[in-house]
Amino acid sequence: MTAPDEPAAPAPAVPELPKLLDDCVHCGFCLPTCPTYVLWGEEMDSPRGRIHLMRQHAEGAPLGEAMVGHFDACLGCMACVTACPSGVRYDRLIEITRAEVEREHDRPLRERAIRAAVFALFPYPRRLRALRGPLRLYQRAGLDRLVRRSGLLERLSPSLAAMERLAPALGPAPRLPARVAARGGRRATVGMLTGCVQREFFPGVNAATARVLALEGCDVVIPPSQGCCGALSLHSGREDEARRFARRTIAAFEGVDAIVVNAAGCGSSMKEYGALLADEPAWAERAAALAGRTRDFAEYLAELGPRAERRPLPVSIAYHDACHLAHAQGVRAQPRALLTAVPGLELREIADPDVCCGSAGTYNLLRPEAAGELGDRKAANVRATAAELLVAANPGCSMQIATALRRRGADIAVAHTAEVLDASLRGLDPRTLLARTT
Amino acid sequence: MTEAVSGLAERFTALLGPGGVVTDPVRLATYECDGLTNHRARPALVVLPDDGAQIAEIVRACVAAGVPYVARGSGTGLSGGALPRTDGVLIVTSRLRRVLEVDVPNQRAVVEPGVINLDVSRAVRADGYYFAPDPSSQQICSVGGNVAENSGGAHCLKYGFTAHHVLSCEVVTPEGEVVELRADDPGYDLLGVFVGAEGTLGIATKVTVKLTRLPETVQTLLAAFDSIERGGTAVSAIIGAGVVPAAIEMMDALSIEAAEASVACGYPPGAGAVLIVELDGPAAEVEHQFAQIRALCEEAGAFEIRVAADDAARALIWRGRKSAFAAVGRISPAYLVQDGVIPRTALPRVLARIDALSAESGVRVANVFHAGDGNLHPLVLFDDAEPGAAERAEQVSGAILDLCIEHGGSITGEHGVGVDKARYMPRMFTATDLDTMQMVRCGFDPAGLCNPGKIYPTPRLCGEAPGVRKGVHPLVEQGKADLF
Amino acid sequence: MATARTALEKVCGDVRADAEHGLTAAPASVEEAAAVMRAAAEHGLAVLPQGAGTRAHWGPPARRRDLVLDTRRLDRLVEHAAGDLVVKAEAGLPMGRLAAALAERGQRLALDADPASTVGGTVATGAAGPLRLLYGTPRDLVIGLTLVRADGEIARSGGKVVKNVAGYDLGRLFAGSYGTLGLIVEATFRLHPRPAVSAYVTASYTDPDAAHAAVQAVLHSPVHPSAVEVAAGGGGIAVGVLAEGATDRSGAVAALLGPGASADASPPAWWGRRPGGGILIEVTGRPTDLPRLLRAAPALAWSASGHGWTALPEDADPAPLLAALRAIGGAVVRTGPARVMQGPDVWGPLPALPLMRRVKDQFDPGHRLSPGRFAGGI
Repeated sequence: MTAPDEPAAPAPAVPELPKLLDDCVHCGFCLPTCPTYVLWGEEMDSPRGRIHLMRQHAEGAPLGEAMVGHFDACLGCMACVTACPSGVRYDRLIEITRAEVEREHDRPLRERAIRAAVFALFPYPRRLRALRGPLRLYQRAGLDRLVRRSGLLERLSPSLAAMERLAPALGPAPRLPARVAARGGRRATVGMLTGCVQREFFPGVNAATARVLALEGCDVVIPPSQGCCGALSLHSGREDEARRFARRTIAAFEGVDAIVVNAAGCGSSMKEYGALLADEPAWAERAAALAGRTRDFAEYLAELGPRAERRPLPVSIAYHDACHLAHAQGVRAQPRALLTAVPGLELREIADPDVCCGSAGTYNLLRPEAAGELGDRKAANVRATAAELLVAANPGCSMQIATALRRRGADIAVAHTAEVLDASLRGLDPRTLLARTT
Repeated sequence: MTEAVSGLAERFTALLGPGGVVTDPVRLATYECDGLTNHRARPALVVLPDDGAQIAEIVRACVAAGVPYVARGSGTGLSGGALPRTDGVLIVTSRLRRVLEVDVPNQRAVVEPGVINLDVSRAVRADGYYFAPDPSSQQICSVGGNVAENSGGAHCLKYGFTAHHVLSCEVVTPEGEVVELRADDPGYDLLGVFVGAEGTLGIATKVTVKLTRLPETVQTLLAAFDSIERGGTAVSAIIGAGVVPAAIEMMDALSIEAAEASVACGYPPGAGAVLIVELDGPAAEVEHQFAQIRALCEEAGAFEIRVAADDAARALIWRGRKSAFAAVGRISPAYLVQDGVIPRTALPRVLARIDALSAESGVRVANVFHAGDGNLHPLVLFDDAEPGAAERAEQVSGAILDLCIEHGGSITGEHGVGVDKARYMPRMFTATDLDTMQMVRCGFDPAGLCNPGKIYPTPRLCGEAPGVRKGVHPLVEQGKADLF
Repeated sequence: MATARTALEKVCGDVRADAEHGLTAAPASVEEAAAVMRAAAEHGLAVLPQGAGTRAHWGPPARRRDLVLDTRRLDRLVEHAAGDLVVKAEAGLPMGRLAAALAERGQRLALDADPASTVGGTVATGAAGPLRLLYGTPRDLVIGLTLVRADGEIARSGGKVVKNVAGYDLGRLFAGSYGTLGLIVEATFRLHPRPAVSAYVTASYTDPDAAHAAVQAVLHSPVHPSAVEVAAGGGGIAVGVLAEGATDRSGAVAALLGPGASADASPPAWWGRRPGGGILIEVTGRPTDLPRLLRAAPALAWSASGHGWTALPEDADPAPLLAALRAIGGAVVRTGPARVMQGPDVWGPLPALPLMRRVKDQFDPGHRLSPGRFAGGI
């Protein structure tokens, strides 16, 4: 997690870079947690190797295809940051490097086109919504199964195929009001980020988040003016675009006690706003303030403390640590504590919890083969728990793992921590959670 | 790239596919060092085989082409044992990572050399077993690397080293033959000498490891003393009482300060030394000895004793110790990690001498050590921005090794000789000793292509008759070797 | 030979000659031993290092023997660093004397050695008893070695600290090498404290599977035994477990062995004994091979570490038994009449023999050290 007072890196000269690179003593403790090292066993696709490549670049080696390929292959899961005993800031290093790649490196045409499509679509809820209609129609017509079987998309573009596979089954997406009032005595006023993918593809999660917050005594403010938080752009080195999104998000959320975020990737990037806008005098202070008030959903509820009654929910749950929650924000204990506080709920740990599921923001769209393999590994570990329900705090993870499980012929119900809590607070039958797969 | 190497590159690409051969200079450079970064050499070629048969083929091709080769596991070694040759092939075993067989009734498992040390224990924990060697890099170091280095760890005081936990190895010999070396087989104990040979006698492609029963109970105690001397007295008293704990670790004031700054381990304030003692085994046995150790620590002057009541408390006690190396980076811009051994009874004397060395030179030394077996890890601190500081630190570090030798100890307890300490070998051994050891190497590797330049400062010409050399070694004369 | 004798007498105060043994030299110091080896090299003598001779009849006889190098005058206990749990002794020191000295300080060398045998002989033959389950064999306990090479040069490996990875471990290479690589003149060992309590828990079985089940129950339990032994012969199968330490764990062990188990502070009569017979066979296998071995061998003394002994009468043909044992694990004939010991069937398969020969050629290019005494005719 980036401290808000960390000075941002002005491009292209990055004064902090040599120090950041020097922190690495080459011990290799990061290797076993790095998803690409786990997959390929190659030094240059490990954090230690990538830092070595960064150093080579800093010492004058050009950003060639080979080097950029290894930077692109990084999922940005930050498991290495957690594992590093020397406190190496790989999160900063890869961000600086990605921005450098975007500035300096000419990508091949086909790659550029896919990236342009992804970044023109996902950060824009309205565009995603426009896609929902045709997608629902396509699914309902059974065309999806036909297309999958034909392998047509795989031949055209593995990335397009990945997008198609990952799309969850869509139900109606209710709009949330601009304000939801606290139940039984207000304890706080919180803003709620609705996200892009979350809002369009998992509207139930946002509804559950708002209900839980309200039931726990929060006035929930949901500014209609909010847009994308900029996470996808920031994590892909598109810094200018990220700053634009950040400024808009800050403007939308000033005036609440806390901003509660239920998507791990969004939360982690909002906590980095201070660094992102440090060089813009008009925004630096506001950005740092907002970053300081940003909380993950589970983190916030743990701080607030429980008030509403938890009703029994007899269900076995495999809890998945989203990288941007566990590694980037250090939030591991809180969601587990929230879940295990529900009577009747049984929490099962997934083996190799530190290793990314392969979703990683846009990774599963840009590097579908590697993402698929990681998804398969995670799916196997999830399956081994024999839990009835998979719970994760990031929409990308849920889609990714559910898709991988489906490939293995095993459907599992998925839910967000908020939905489980919502079901408990409202005394719903666990079957309402188990009935749904993505 | 020489003609020989480019020929090999072509051949290996046909064998392994393009994904198994690295030729791009930028990528090759990421393999230029292992866990010790002050020796670097960009290999001419890196190969990533998937199985032992491929390794045999690679070795045979190297031998036929007269090209040297070096094997590397996870690249975590601290003596440069896997330092590549600029004119050679680096054979990386990280893709040989299958646990091939777990045989609980026979208390053994067969694994490939790239399997991570900790993953062996993970694979058998549910059955009540674990793999005993626990080097501090166990979450990433490979079993093949453990075999090469004869790795120990904090718990080797009671359980011994990798050599005691390997039942057999399938080995690709330096000439490319595949042979099974088994501890049980009649004849010379070639397995015994292969383990710990730092990859100079061939490459292990399958390792059968012994599994150890998980103990019934583990008890951990932290004792704080106002001085290292008192801590040392406690260690001697414990060993003298006939107790063999699983581990006895000690840290001095400077390393405690570093650990505190890094992980806030909360060790007793004002401690000049802390001792961590861990006992494991049958519950009654542990309980009895634990009381004994507690009393001995108190007698030796411990001003505070903490006992870990559960795994979380145990982890907290170990956290300071385990973070010590990395933590020192927070109180000093740079440091050298030394690895030397002394008889444990010499501990107070040697530590006093290290103190004096430090005072004389103005170079700070933090001490972290496996006190039970006298294995010191002095951390020699310096500021790399200051001219001459690195050289002074290097001198102090070397002087500490001289102290170890003077007291009948060793220049390395667990990090290995590699390329880093080859120059110290003549201080510990005579030319004849080294020549005799290298007879084994000549038997295994007459062509001298398997990880050359490691362990021994001067290669032995394998054709020559045994006997003490007089005059200048022919290789030195030709400029092909250096006596340091 | 006469000039050789003169040369030996010049460097060694104790040189004898008799019709049966030929020349014997008994040096009294490491330097003297080196001088003897040098003289032997100069005169091309085949040398047979020997200690107390307790295992001199083990293995095939030497093809050539010009000089017996008797180590028994090299009998100093060089250093017992009790605080470091380490002892260094010369090769000719009897193990019984060593054990007595160590016992005075509450320590032991955990090898169950024959008190009459010597330090050098114990290492050279890799001799170990029931404690091998927990402590291993000489290869695991030798931490330093001084040897005299075939050319008379003195060389050392290891040292006097337990934790040491500097250079190749020649201690492990020389352990069990039967005097074919060089002369062992000093050895340094890792020691262990003598336990306060020793309990031998024994039980008898008639069915090999039941005995095996008992052994497995102990192995997979947390009682941490020092030794688990099986002795079979004459119908019954005895299982014995040695539990040592600060406390008495015999109750827990007895519960694992089943009803009828009994505990004693001293070992049963059969403990650590090899079966009698003119042909002695060393057997190796996996722990789970025990039932098959019990059925294959007429008498068996077995350590749960995967090592044991069986025997046949001197006039028996060992071939069928060796074939049966080698179908399970390994079998080496240790003693037997000349027709057996000089036959082709002593060692069994030796996959690493070419490598062994190359190592031998380096250490003893003239093949003068105990020629023919070792695996594959080395």
